Amino acid sequence: MSDTSPERAGGADGADRDALAQTIVFSGVSVVRDGRTALDRLSIGFEETRIGIVGLNGSGKSTLLKCIIGLVKPTAGTITVDGRDAVGEARAVRRSTGFLFQDPDNQIVMPLVGEDLAFGLKNHGFSKAEIGARVDAALTRLAIGHLADRRIHELSGGEKQLVALAGVLALTPKTVLFDEPTAHLDLKNRNRLRDVLHAMPEQAIVVSHDLDLLADFPRVVLIEAGRIVHDGPAAETLARHREASR
Amino acid sequence: MIAALARPGTSALHRTPAAPKLLGLAVAATALFFVDHHGLLAAAFVAALAVARSTGASFAAIGRDLRGPAVVLAVLGLADWVMVDRATAVTVVLRLGAIALLAHAVTVTTSTAELGEVLERLFRPAERLGLLDATRAALTVTLAIRFVPLIVEEARAIREAQAARGLEGSIVALVVPLMVRVIVRSEALADAIDARGFPPEHAVSSTNERR
Repeated sequence: MSDTSPERAGGADGADRDALAQTIVFSGVSVVRDGRTALDRLSIGFEETRIGIVGLNGSGKSTLLKCIIGLVKPTAGTITVDGRDAVGEARAVRRSTGFLFQDPDNQIVMPLVGEDLAFGLKNHGFSKAEIGARVDAALTRLAIGHLADRRIHELSGGEKQLVALAGVLALTPKTVLFDEPTAHLDLKNRNRLRDVLHAMPEQAIVVSHDLDLLADFPRVVLIEAGRIVHDGPAAETLARHREASR
Repeated sequence: MIAALARPGTSALHRTPAAPKLLGLAVAATALFFVDHHGLLAAAFVAALAVARSTGASFAAIGRDLRGPAVVLAVLGLADWVMVDRATAVTVVLRLGAIALLAHAVTVTTSTAELGEVLERLFRPAERLGLLDATRAALTVTLAIRFVPLIVEEARAIREAQAARGLEGSIVALVVPLMVRVIVRSEALADAIDARGFPPEHAVSSTNERR
């Protein structure tokens, strides 16, 4: 296989957190859409294993996250992930960087759980045997093996979110980007997702309004109107965010 | 029918690849349109019911899955009886009923992924003629299967919300917000599909080769 083969491009199996973390660099990134500035000359780097991003609605949090895997193309500036351009080398970046969307119904493509987990793996060129093994491993890892043959539309919101996450983890990414992962979850499922998040060896960048979820993160970034207004440990940044939101 | 979807099992049909099953369904459905004899049609109906049962589905499950088509069939049969004659009504009901049962048997024993692969192969000649992108066309069918139940749920939620506002009879009050939701969802879905590495590597390579 070439350098872009699944096994060489990604791979979280068995590695520790520090080895997994990718270096993500925004250099003078602006995003203007429909005349509105979503990100404004943003320059920042991410290399920690746990990074939280907070801000009010419309502040540019989700846009920032989508820029990392090239879903949103910057109007100016560049984004690199471990030295790869997020737009020009989007395929390789997406192989090593998973994305969990806010609404799992927008993320799950296939009607059955097992089929959906196989979808991303198939797209990235894994063999049938490897797909089967990875699907089983991802379901087992999140303790949802019993859902393998279930129909998506019969699952609860929490189960769907876990299935969507399993689909991401099946690719053994180095980094997982979470876009408000607890927004649609009840308390029980929120706690479950928090446990999963805390136990993950992968690097995680989490956009959330659920400040408790980010409370023990070593780094949390506060965004306002597309600009970084604070960057520091969770306690500091969240206190500032709470103060600014009054 | 679409909501029925594949169910795990070990029946002969479960073990049969998707392509021969779909071909068999097409041949059987076409052949049934050349049969008018009520005795033969009744035999075909019973045989189709046996095929549907051979998948492991109970009579209750078959009835539940085919409730929608059964209503349509009843309306069609009644209309034929009133406007044409009873013999035509019986022909239509037996013929379409048999086809629906056979289609059910194929649906519950064929995974969407397998179906997608067969469709992709079927679309490949059209792709060579530049008429469509086989991989995307197959995914479109898969998405339709996946999202029909979701859209039905959303329509129900909108109908309830509109009823609470006294607009239970208004089609516009149902259709407009539903369309908006579907469009918003389709944009988010497009992002998710991109994020998950679609189109597959083999499709990217073949597209590049054609260029």
